[in-house]
Amino acid sequence: MRYNRTELAGNIGFSSIIDEKFKTGSLTVRFITELSGEKAAANALGIGALSASSARYRTLAELNEKLSSLYGAGLSTFARKRGDVQVLGLTASWICSRYAIDGEDVDSEMLEMIRGCIFEPNVKDGAFDADSYAITKKDLLDRIDAELNNKRGYALSRAAEVAFRGEPAEVSCYGTKEAASAVSAEEAYKAYLSLIKDSQVEIYYIAPQEDDRVLEMFRDSFAGIQRNSGKVRFENISPVKREPVTESDVFDVLQCKMVMTFKTASEDSAAMKMLSIIFGETPVSKLFLNVREKMSLCYYCACRYTQSKGALMVDSGVERENIEKARDEILRQLDEIRNGNITDEEIQSALLSADNALTQIGDTPSSYSAWYFERFCEGKVITPEERYEDYRMVTKERIVQAAKSLSLDSIYLMLDKEVKE
Amino acid sequence: MEKTILKSPRTGDSCIHVKHSSGLDIYICEMPGFSSVEALFGTKYGSINTMFRQNGDSEYTTVPEGIAHFLEHKLFENEDCDVFELYAKTGASGNAFTSFDKTAYLFSCSKNYQESLRILLDFVQKPYFTKETVDKEQGIIGQEIKMTNDNPEWRVFFNMLRCMYHSHPVKIDIAGTVESIAQIDADLLYKCYNTFYNLNNMVLSIAGNISADEVLAICDECLKPCEDKGLETVFPEEPEDIVQAEVYESQPVGASIFNIGYKCADCRGEERLKKSMEASIVSSLLTDASSDMYQKLLKDGIINSSFGSEVFTGDGYFTVIFSGESDQPEKVRDALAAEVERIIREGICEKDFQRIKKSTYGMLVRELNNVEAVANLMMNSHMDETGPYDAISVLSEMTAADALGFMRESFSRDKLVMSVITAEL
Repeated sequence: MRYNRTELAGNIGFSSIIDEKFKTGSLTVRFITELSGEKAAANALGIGALSASSARYRTLAELNEKLSSLYGAGLSTFARKRGDVQVLGLTASWICSRYAIDGEDVDSEMLEMIRGCIFEPNVKDGAFDADSYAITKKDLLDRIDAELNNKRGYALSRAAEVAFRGEPAEVSCYGTKEAASAVSAEEAYKAYLSLIKDSQVEIYYIAPQEDDRVLEMFRDSFAGIQRNSGKVRFENISPVKREPVTESDVFDVLQCKMVMTFKTASEDSAAMKMLSIIFGETPVSKLFLNVREKMSLCYYCACRYTQSKGALMVDSGVERENIEKARDEILRQLDEIRNGNITDEEIQSALLSADNALTQIGDTPSSYSAWYFERFCEGKVITPEERYEDYRMVTKERIVQAAKSLSLDSIYLMLDKEVKE
Repeated sequence: MEKTILKSPRTGDSCIHVKHSSGLDIYICEMPGFSSVEALFGTKYGSINTMFRQNGDSEYTTVPEGIAHFLEHKLFENEDCDVFELYAKTGASGNAFTSFDKTAYLFSCSKNYQESLRILLDFVQKPYFTKETVDKEQGIIGQEIKMTNDNPEWRVFFNMLRCMYHSHPVKIDIAGTVESIAQIDADLLYKCYNTFYNLNNMVLSIAGNISADEVLAICDECLKPCEDKGLETVFPEEPEDIVQAEVYESQPVGASIFNIGYKCADCRGEERLKKSMEASIVSSLLTDASSDMYQKLLKDGIINSSFGSEVFTGDGYFTVIFSGESDQPEKVRDALAAEVERIIREGICEKDFQRIKKSTYGMLVRELNNVEAVANLMMNSHMDETGPYDAISVLSEMTAADALGFMRESFSRDKLVMSVITAEL
C-alpha cells in the first residue's frame, strides 16, 4: 500500500491510497465545517442535491441510468456529525476498467461524472433545479422522520442532545425538520457554494493503481474557485453538568433504552480507549459479562468513547423494572475499574482485540478512507501499528486514572407506555 | 479427501473445495494482500427446520419454534467457560447468527487465525446444556424477542410473510415466541444438536489471509468423523395461494414503511439460482431509478430513495419483495402491479435489460473484493447446492426473454401481498 497526501491549495488535502489487491476504485470528498443549528439543514441539502442530478445528467433518471451502465457504480452523498463538526460529502465507487465486459473506460467515465456532480451542479437562476431539489428535500425530511424507526440509534441521538445541550454537538447532522422544510432551492445552492468556497476539504482516492488525472482534476477544478477557508477545531471537550440530569421520552415500545453519558477532561486518549474496551466494547467486557450475562439485566449493554467531546456513552436495552438495577450495576462496574480491579488478562484481551481491529484496516477501501480522515482530524497521521503501540504502552494505573476522570453527566431513557411516571 | 479448485473464468478468482474425510465440506479462499480472515462454520439448520427424521426413525419429530436460534445461543457456553473468553485470548471477534435455513458460527481476525479456527471447530462440536443454563437463556432470548418486536423493519417483514404463507414455518419469527421457547429443555437441544450438527450437514468456509494447507491440517486435527444419518427435513403442505392481501400495524415510527411481495413457486439448486438471478434482474428493472414508474412515484412524493427490492428464497419459499417508506403504500403497490402487467404485455426493453445486467455483474465483482463477503458467498452457495462463481455464469447466459419468462410465470396479481407499519391506523 502506498499513502500520499498532497495539499492542493489552502485547506484542501488530496490523499491517494494505492493498494493493488482491490478490484474497485473509490473516491470520497469531505467538506468539513462547524456544526450549527442554523446551517446544518441547508448544508445537508446543498450536498444532497449533488447526487440527484448535474448539469450534464439533468435528472435523477439520467444520472442513475449512467451509473447503472457503468456496472452499477455507486455515487451518493452524506451528512455526518463528528463532535462539533459537520462533515458533508460525496462518495463514489466503481469496478476498475479491466473488469469491464465490453471494454469501457469506467475509471475515466466515473472521474468525469464525479467532477460534474461536484463542480457543475444542475443550477438555474442561482438555485438548484426545482425538480431535483424537491426529491433531495423530501429525502432529507423522510430521513429525519425515519430516525425514530431505529430505536437504539434514536436513543443515542437524544442522549447526545441532552449531554451536549448548548453546544454545536447537540444538533443533528441533518438539522431539524422545521429548518430543513424552510430551506429553499436557492438557499441550498448558497450553502453548497459556501461549502465549496469556505469549508476545509479532504479528498481520498483509493484504487489498485495510480491515476494522476484524479489529483489534476481536483487541482484544476478548485483553481477556478475563490477560496476563503478557515480551519475547524475538531476537539471540543464538553463540560460536565454540575448535577447529572435525567430526561425521558415515552413511546409504545416493548423494550426500554437507557443511555448514560460520562464525561472526562483527560487528554490520555489511549488510556480512555483501553478503558472503553475493557469496560464495554467486547463480549468479555465488564458490562457484557456482568450486566448482561451474569445478572441478565439488559439484552445489550455496551460503551463507546468519543474523543472529540471527551464523552463515553453506555447504551443498553433494558426492561422497565430493571432500569435502576442496571444503572447501579453499570456504575458499580466503573467503580471496579476505578478501584483498580482490572486483571492482566482483561488488559491483554483488550490489546488483542484492538490489535485485530487495527490490523484489519485496509481490507476495505472505506476503512482506509475512515482511518486517514480520523488521523487528519486528530492532527497527526500515524499508522495502525503506531496506534497499537500507543495502546500497548498504557499501564493499568493510566486506565484507573482514566476511569477516575469520568463523571456522570446525564441519562436518557426511552420508556415504554405501560408505566406512568 | 477430495480436493477441487473452483475458478471464475470471468474475474480470475478461485477457491478450493474439499470434501473432508469427516464428512464436512470445506471451502478455502486465499486472498493475497488482505490482512483479515473470516471463518464461518455453518449447519443447514434454521428456524424453518421444525420437523425432521433420520435413518431408523419411523416418525417425524416436531420441535418448538425458535429452537435453532436457542441452540445457537447455548453452544457458546462450554462446560468450563464461555467461548468469548477463549476468543479473548486470540483477539478474534467471535459471533453467530441463525437465519431461516442456516445457523453459522463465525470469527473475524487478523492474527492467530490458526488458534481461533481450533476454538471454532472445537466448541461447535462440543455441546453442553444443563437445566440451569437453559433457564437463564430463556430470560436473555425473551429480551431479544422484545427488542426485535420494537424493530419496525422486522415487523413489517414478518407480517408480510404471514400474509403470504399458510403453513410454511418461514412465517414464524426466527427467535420464536416467549411461549414457544419456554418449552425448550436440555434434552430437546441435544436432540436437535445431534440431528443437525452432523458434519455431513455442515460446511466450513474460510477466506482471507490464510494458507489452505494450514487450514486443512487444523481440520484434520480437530474434526471428529461423523456417520451420515440420512437427515430428512419436511415442511407442511403449502398452498399456492396467499393468506390475505394486506395487513397494517401501528408502531411508533417516524416514517411509515411497507413490504410488498409476490409469492412465487419455490425450487431448488441450480434452478433456484437461475430463477433468483432472473428475479433479481426484473425487480431491479422495476425499482430502477431511471424507470418511468420510479420517476413518477418519486415526483408525486409517493416514494423516496429508500425504495428497493430483494429476492428472498430458501427451502420451500421464494418471494420477491419491494420495500421502502411511503405514506401511500397502496399507490406503490398499484403502480407496481400495473407496471408488471405492462412489461408482461409489451416485453422488456433490451437496452434496459443489458444495463441492469451489467449493474448486477458489477455488484458480483465487488463482492469478490471483500473477505467477509467471499466467506459468506462460499457458505451460502454450498448450502444452496451451487458453486460460489455460478451466479456470474448464470448471469452472463441470461436473456431478456428468460427474465420476462420469470415475470410471466411468477408475478401474478393474486399472489401479491402488502404489509404496512404506520404510526397511526
